[in-house]
Amino acid sequence: MNGFRMPPFAFKRLLASGAIACAVLLPCVASASLGEPETSAQTDGEQMHGSIKESDRGAYRVHEIQLPSGTLVREYSGLDGVVFAVAWNGPFMPDLRQMLGRYFDAYAAAAKAKHADHHHLQIQQSDLVVQSSGHMRAFNGRAYLPQAIPGGVSVGDLL
Amino acid sequence: MRGGCALLAFLSVVSCGGGGNSLGAATPPVQPAANVVAAVVDGGPPGLSALSVNTLYTTVTVCVPGSTTECQTIDHIQVDTGSSGLRLLAPALTLSLPVTASSSGASLLECMVFVDGYSWGPVSRVDLQVAGESAKSVLVQLIGDSRFPNVPSDCASTGSAEDTVAAFGANGIMGIGPLAQDCGPACATQAVPAFYYSCNAATCQNAMVSLASQVPNPVTLFATDNNGAIIVLPNVATDGAASVAGSLIFGIDTESNNQLGTVTVLSLDATSGGYLTTIFNGQTLTLSFVDSGSSALYFNDPSIALCSSSGFSGLYCPASAQNFGATLQGQDANGTSTGISIPESFTVANAEAQAQAEPAFTAFPELGGVFGTAGSFDWGLPFFYGRRIAVAIQDSPTTAGPGPFIAL
Repeated sequence: MNGFRMPPFAFKRLLASGAIACAVLLPCVASASLGEPETSAQTDGEQMHGSIKESDRGAYRVHEIQLPSGTLVREYSGLDGVVFAVAWNGPFMPDLRQMLGRYFDAYAAAAKAKHADHHHLQIQQSDLVVQSSGHMRAFNGRAYLPQAIPGGVSVGDLL
Repeated sequence: MRGGCALLAFLSVVSCGGGGNSLGAATPPVQPAANVVAAVVDGGPPGLSALSVNTLYTTVTVCVPGSTTECQTIDHIQVDTGSSGLRLLAPALTLSLPVTASSSGASLLECMVFVDGYSWGPVSRVDLQVAGESAKSVLVQLIGDSRFPNVPSDCASTGSAEDTVAAFGANGIMGIGPLAQDCGPACATQAVPAFYYSCNAATCQNAMVSLASQVPNPVTLFATDNNGAIIVLPNVATDGAASVAGSLIFGIDTESNNQLGTVTVLSLDATSGGYLTTIFNGQTLTLSFVDSGSSALYFNDPSIALCSSSGFSGLYCPASAQNFGATLQGQDANGTSTGISIPESFTVANAEAQAQAEPAFTAFPELGGVFGTAGSFDWGLPFFYGRRIAVAIQDSPTTAGPGPFIAL
C-alpha cells in the first residue's frame, strides 16, 4: 500500500501503452540520471538491476524502475528528452549517485554542510532541489532541477 | 541538528504550548527507578560545528563482552524511535571491541543509511547497561572504525559520510523504534545493496544476514521491560528552552511506573516500517510517522511561508505563529486505518526569528518544515514535548496487545 500511488487514469494509460512489454526485455531502455538525456538512462535500470515501466504524461514522461529491494524509483523527462526530476519511495535508499548523476557530488557536499536531522534533508540551490525524508525501512524523496521543469508541470505532480 | 539549523530560534507567540497540548496533562516528573534513564535535549556533544536542535540524548554504559572492568559510560547517545539498533561512534570509544563474523566467517560490516548520510562500520558486541537494565552480548554497530576505512561503492553512493562525532551529531544512537531489527526480513532473504557486508582484508560483498544476526532494537534484549519504551518530556515554552530534562522508561505495563492507563493506542504498519495515518488539511496521509529522531514537525502546507535564509531552507517562517489541527489514526498490518484516532493541535512559529532571538536555545516546540514528497506527516520531537509517548516493538506482547504501536 505504500508503493507508487499513481492516479488510476495514469495507470490505465500506462497499461495501454507498450511500456509493459519493456519489462520483459532485460535489460531494458529506461531513463537517465538527472540532467542527462533519457536515452542514456537505460544504464539506471541495468545498474540497479530493476524492472522498468514507462508512461507518457503529456508534457513529460515517467520511467519507473522497481528495484529488487522493494524500492520504486521514478525518473521524469521532458519533451526534450532530458531528465528533470527523480523520485524514490520504499524500504531502502536507492543509488543516489546513479540517480543524481553529475549532481551527486553537489548533493553530497551540501548534505555534509547542512542537515536538520538523520531523518530529513532539504537541499535548496538555484539549480538543484533535493527533499529527502524517512526512517528505517521507509524512505521517500525527490530531486529536481527547478529551471528545467516543463511549463505547466508542478512539482507536486511529481510526488 | 547542526549547520544552519543551529541558527534556529523562535518567536514568542500565542500558542498552546508546542507538542504537548491537547492530550493529557503536563507530565509529572518521573521518579528514579531501575527502568528509568535520564533523557535530555541539549546542544549535543562537544566538537559540533553548531548546536543540535530538538535532539534527544541519553547515556549508556557498554562493556567488552564478559568483562566487568573494561567498561565505558557514554553520554550524548541520541534516542531515536525512527530506527532500531544501538550504534556507537568508534572515535568516542576507549574500549577495544570485537568484530563479529559473517556467515562466511569473514567480518560482518554494515552501511547504515540515514536520510542525511551513511554511517559505515563493523558489527560488534557489547554488554549493555542502561540505568538498571542490562543485556549481554548485544549486537551493535561501530561507526567510523579505523580498522575498516574502505567504504564499498554502493554504500558511498547513498550520500555523504557520517563517520565522526561532529558529522553524526552524537556519540552514538540508540534506535528504539517499533522494529525489532534494523534491516529485517529483506536482508535475511537477499543481499540487499548498501546494508550488510561480508568483508575480508581486501574486499567487501553484500551479505545476507539472518534476523538473529542483525543489529536488534536493544530493548528487546533486556531481561524484563523489553516490549518497548516510553519517552517522557516536559512542556517547553513557546519561545524555546536552552535544554530540556526528561526521561526514558523501559517496558510497557511491566512495572508500576510504565502503566498504559487510559492512553490511546495507535497500531502501526510494521511491514512498511511503522507508518500511521494523519488527516491534515483534508488530506489522508498514510505515510505518516511519529519520530523522536526528527527535529521538527515535517509536513506539506504550501500556504505557510518558507524561511528565506539558506541556513533555514525547508523550514517554515510564517510572519506570525499559525495554529493547525490534525488527526492521527492507527494503521493495521495492511496499511488500512483502524479508525482509532487522536486529535492534535499544533503551532508553527517563525523558525528563523526564534533562532535569532535565542541563539543558545536547543529546544523549540513550534519548529516546522516541509516534508517534500506527498502523503506524509512526520511528527518529530516537538510532538513529544509535554507528553508521555510509548513505542511498543513489533510482536512484543503488552497488555494492550502485541506491538507495533504507539500510545499516548
